[in-house]
Amino acid sequence: MAARAGVNWGKWAVSGPPLAYLIVFFAAPTLIMALASFRTPGDFGGLAPLVAPDGTLDLNLESYARLAESTAYAEVFLKSVIFAIVTTVACLVLAYPLATLIAQSPRKYRDLLLLLVILPFWSNFLIRIYAWMIILGPNAALARGLNGVLALFGVEPVPLLFSSFAVLVCLVYVHLPFMVLPLYANLEKHDRALLDAAQDLGANAWQRFWRITFPLSLPGVYAGAALVFIPALGIFAIPDILGGPNDTLIGNLIKQQFLETRDWPFGSVLSIVLTVAALALAGLAAWIGRRGSAGAARA
Amino acid sequence: MKPRILARALTAGLVAFAAARPAAAADKLHLYNWNNYIAPETIKRFEAECKCEVVQTYYSDNEELLAKLAAGAKGYDVMVPTGGTVEALIKGGQLQPLDLAKLPNLKNVDRVYLNTRWDPGNKYSVPYAMSTTILGYNDQKMKELGLPTDTWAVIFDPKYLEKVKGRVTVLDSQSELFAAALKYLGYSVNDVDEKHWRQAADLIKKAKPYWAAFNASSYIKELTVGNIWLAHGYSNDIFQADQDAQAAGRKFRILQGMPKEGAVLAVDNMVIHKNAPRPDLAHKFINFMLDGRNSAELTNLIGSGNPNLDASKYIKPELKALPAVFPPKEVAATLEQLGELTPAQRRLRNKLWTEIKAAR
Repeated sequence: MAARAGVNWGKWAVSGPPLAYLIVFFAAPTLIMALASFRTPGDFGGLAPLVAPDGTLDLNLESYARLAESTAYAEVFLKSVIFAIVTTVACLVLAYPLATLIAQSPRKYRDLLLLLVILPFWSNFLIRIYAWMIILGPNAALARGLNGVLALFGVEPVPLLFSSFAVLVCLVYVHLPFMVLPLYANLEKHDRALLDAAQDLGANAWQRFWRITFPLSLPGVYAGAALVFIPALGIFAIPDILGGPNDTLIGNLIKQQFLETRDWPFGSVLSIVLTVAALALAGLAAWIGRRGSAGAARA
Repeated sequence: MKPRILARALTAGLVAFAAARPAAAADKLHLYNWNNYIAPETIKRFEAECKCEVVQTYYSDNEELLAKLAAGAKGYDVMVPTGGTVEALIKGGQLQPLDLAKLPNLKNVDRVYLNTRWDPGNKYSVPYAMSTTILGYNDQKMKELGLPTDTWAVIFDPKYLEKVKGRVTVLDSQSELFAAALKYLGYSVNDVDEKHWRQAADLIKKAKPYWAAFNASSYIKELTVGNIWLAHGYSNDIFQADQDAQAAGRKFRILQGMPKEGAVLAVDNMVIHKNAPRPDLAHKFINFMLDGRNSAELTNLIGSGNPNLDASKYIKPELKALPAVFPPKEVAATLEQLGELTPAQRRLRNKLWTEIKAAR
């Protein structure tokens, strides 16, 4: 049917509520945060008045300048980005075969297998992290077994709990379903006839995967990578609970500003830098992805 | 008292659920409190006495309370913040003055804990209970290794730390860890000289490689199961770790070590919010809690320090002997309460803290 002239009320009725929701709960808080980053912390928490007693607006770049005061902030940022990248790659490597298996399994089992993937969400996030404390503890079977093997080679026992290893294991564990689900949604739609045709034309298993399945699955890979990378970049609970003395990430730093240090402006600055970094990295990945697929099309 | 943030956040929900009762009484007192910071029998007795209902909500650290009030939270009658936080609340205009005529039981409180420098004359706050930030240790292991348990040196000096590498946790708290380091270096916990702070930061950086973690949430459990042998922690938490270890039939005990250099004393105070819906009930409650018996029930439950002289006769003898419950005069003289910092000082300390955390 042709579009009627004038306002399309139906369209607005459908898109209005979610749009209003995003404006109220996403855009407005982001703007408040952006404004707070230029303000001054209050003496006893909160923010100093926006309008100073002499009537001038109290806005400044002091909190931004603080980023340059110490290289520690950049180091923590870099560490967080590295952790998030390692988590994303590990999730991809683990999730790809799993999603393929589910997508290729008989239709009647698929829902059950998917249910098993999302089963961990039925218990609280924090409880699942606490469970890892027990699994990784020095008196648990895992650490004792590993250190028993290391001892055979004369290696000093290594602690598993309170280490970067513990943080990474748990980051991967928590985010794995976010990679499996979009990959599955993509892989399930692949047309098997394409693979059969490739086989008829002489492509071996690796060529069929690398030239057909993988390029077709790239939208799922990008979606999964974004769903894993972005939350992994800002997380603070996992390093708080499982991390060792060197495992402070940017999320912990931001939390500190809002609670312990009561420095909302600097906390806002760090959050904004984090958001911009996440957007920039996502943009970069998309750009590389587009170039990659354009290259593949030419080849 | 201080946080075990996440563990508390988890249990708070359960406790709140379990505490739900039919709302028979129309009169309600809203108590904004630490989790597990009043004995259930004490609440029951107060409810019977005032013919009202006590509605508790919980916070897991002072910063959470400040952040909530700064964001405009309302509806609380009585809150129980720690010393330095009382200062922030008074100066921030969040409290209403107490009517001391309605608090005759204030006479029970040890004078040492009255008239703090942030609230002279106790216009806004009266002591509720307290804790000290000290050492908690596995008695068996420390004896085997021949390590001292009465000095901060054991968590800062590599000479001792070498023997317990990876078995030590310190609190994930800028104020507490800096305070311990400053005390070890012979300064006041409230010293704000940047040079002394940098000295403290260097001390912490040198000790850090030997620590298993900065931890304020799970060190109790780690001490109890024997994964950690030495912790910088709150006296109430260390008491709880020992109780748990005994209940689990462990061969070791978790004992409290009071460092001779001195330590942080945290006195939690009852205060009334400026917009309290029921200041009348709030005063009744505060006076009730200043009664020795009611105050003692909390100490018997969680091993908290007790500023109430009248409570002594109700407290279990094994608890009375702990220096953290009733600090003897010579110990009390070495204890200090943490005061407030200015925003500029907080920023500087946070920068040093971030450098400590990022150092390797």
